[in-house]
Amino acid sequence: MKTSYMKLRGSQYLRLRLLLATLSSTPILVEDIRSDSSSPGLRPHEVSFLRLLEKISDDCTVEINDTGTKLRYRPGVLMGGKNLVHDCGLSRAIGYFMEPLIVLGLFGKRPLSIRLKGITNDSKDLSVDTFRTTTLHILKQFGVPIDGLELKIESRGAAPLGGGEVVLGVPIVPNSLTATLWIDEGMVKRIRGVTSSTRVSPQFGNRMIFSARGIFNRLLPDVHIFTDHRSGQSCGRSPGYGISLVAETTTGCLISADMAVSYPKAEEDASMKYDEKLELLPPEDLGTQVASMLLGEIEAGGVVDSSHQGLLFLLCALCPPDVSKVRVGKLTPYSIAVLRNIRDFLGVKFVIKPEAAMNTVILKCVGCGLKNNARTIS
Amino acid sequence: SKWKESLIARARMRQNINLMQLVYGDSSSKLVNPSRVTEGGSSEDSDDDILVPKAELEKRMAENPDYDDINVDDRSKIVTSQLKDWSSGDYITVIRDRFVTGDWSK
Repeated sequence: MKTSYMKLRGSQYLRLRLLLATLSSTPILVEDIRSDSSSPGLRPHEVSFLRLLEKISDDCTVEINDTGTKLRYRPGVLMGGKNLVHDCGLSRAIGYFMEPLIVLGLFGKRPLSIRLKGITNDSKDLSVDTFRTTTLHILKQFGVPIDGLELKIESRGAAPLGGGEVVLGVPIVPNSLTATLWIDEGMVKRIRGVTSSTRVSPQFGNRMIFSARGIFNRLLPDVHIFTDHRSGQSCGRSPGYGISLVAETTTGCLISADMAVSYPKAEEDASMKYDEKLELLPPEDLGTQVASMLLGEIEAGGVVDSSHQGLLFLLCALCPPDVSKVRVGKLTPYSIAVLRNIRDFLGVKFVIKPEAAMNTVILKCVGCGLKNNARTIS
Repeated sequence: SKWKESLIARARMRQNINLMQLVYGDSSSKLVNPSRVTEGGSSEDSDDDILVPKAELEKRMAENPDYDDINVDDRSKIVTSQLKDWSSGDYITVIRDRFVTGDWSK
C-alpha cells in the first residue's frame, strides 16, 4: 500500500508538526532539515523526541536519511503506558519534551506515566516548576480529569550536564476534550513561586526571592516564593539556579514567567575567545528580571501568558465541534506558527479579532472533534 | 529619524487590525517587518548580504527571530530583550488596576 505524505520543509516547528501529524494520523515527509547549515541534519533533541514517539506509540515508523536532512514519519497508534523511561539528552531541557507529551498522553490508549531524565531548568524551555504550577492546570480548563495529572521532581539538573529526573503522569480523556469559553482573566490576587538551585550556595534562593519581592512590594502583599535547594543525590551534575513565578487571578487564570542560568557547554566556551571564567547573572538581577517579566505578562493581558498561547490554541482546536473562545495578549511568532500548522493538519481556522478596550486578542474556533481513537482500537 | 516614528507607529497599527491576514494570509505577500524597517536604513545595505560567511549569517538569524528561516529554533518561550523598569512609579500605575489591590470602580 502506498501512503501519501504531507511534504514539509525545514526543521522549523518539527516538534509541533510531529505532534499534529500523530494526532491527525497524517504521515509527513520533512525535507531540507538544516541542509544549508554548517552542521546539517537533525539535532540530538529532535532525534530523541522521535525515539520518544516510538516509545509511546505502536506501529509508527521513522526513517531518517544518512545526513539527517530528510525525515519520513508515519504515525502509529498512541499507546501510553506505565513505568516508561526516557533519557532526554542534554541538548534541550525536559520542558521541550513535555510540551508535546502532555497533549499526546491525553489521546493514548492507557494513561501515561513516564520518567524523564535530563535538564530540568534552563533558559530556553519552560522549567519543570512552571509545568507543575501552570501548564498542567491549563489542561483542566478543557475537562481533563485531575486524577493522574501530575509531575514529580525527583532530582534537579542544570545545563550543561543535567542529571535531573522527573516523573510525568498524564491521564487519558475517555472520549474527547470539552470546549471552553475562557475570556475573563480577572485580577491578580496572589503571586507564588519557587526558586531552584543546584550546586551553588543555598543562599542564592533567598537572594533571588529578596529582589523579586522588592518589585512586587508596591502592588500586592500576598507574595510567597519558596526555595527548593537540592544537594547530595538529587542535585544533578552542574551548578545553576533559577526562579519560576506564577500570578493567580480571581478567575483562576495562571500567568507565569521563569528563567534559569547556568554555565554554557565546555566546547562552546572554547570556540569563544578565551576569557576568564564566564560570570553568570547574579541571583539578585535574575530575581528582578523574572519579576519584571511576570509584570510584563500581566500587563499584556490574556488568560494565559505568552509561553502557553500555543498549547491553548492547540487544545481549542482539538475540542469537539463546539465553539471555543479565548483571550490572549499579543500573539507571539510561535503561536502564529501554531495557528498555521493547526490549519494545515487539522483544518481548523480561528477567527481572530483584536479587542481594543483591553488591548488583547480574542480567538474563536470550532474544534476538529478529535476523539480518543486509540482507546476504541483494541 | 524622528519624523519616521509616527509613520512607523501608524503602519504598525494598521498591521494589527488585520490579524486574520497576518496569521493566515498567503505567505507570498511578505509582511514588512517593523524591526527591519527601523534598522534597515537605505536599500544599499542589502548588497552586503550577498557575500556573508555562512556562520555569520546563521548568527544573524539566531539574533533576529523574525528572520524568515525554515530552520528556525523550535521554542515556545519568547525572550523579552527589553524589560521595563517596574521599580519606577510611572509603570506601576499602568498595571495597578490589574491587581485586586487596584481601583475597582473602573
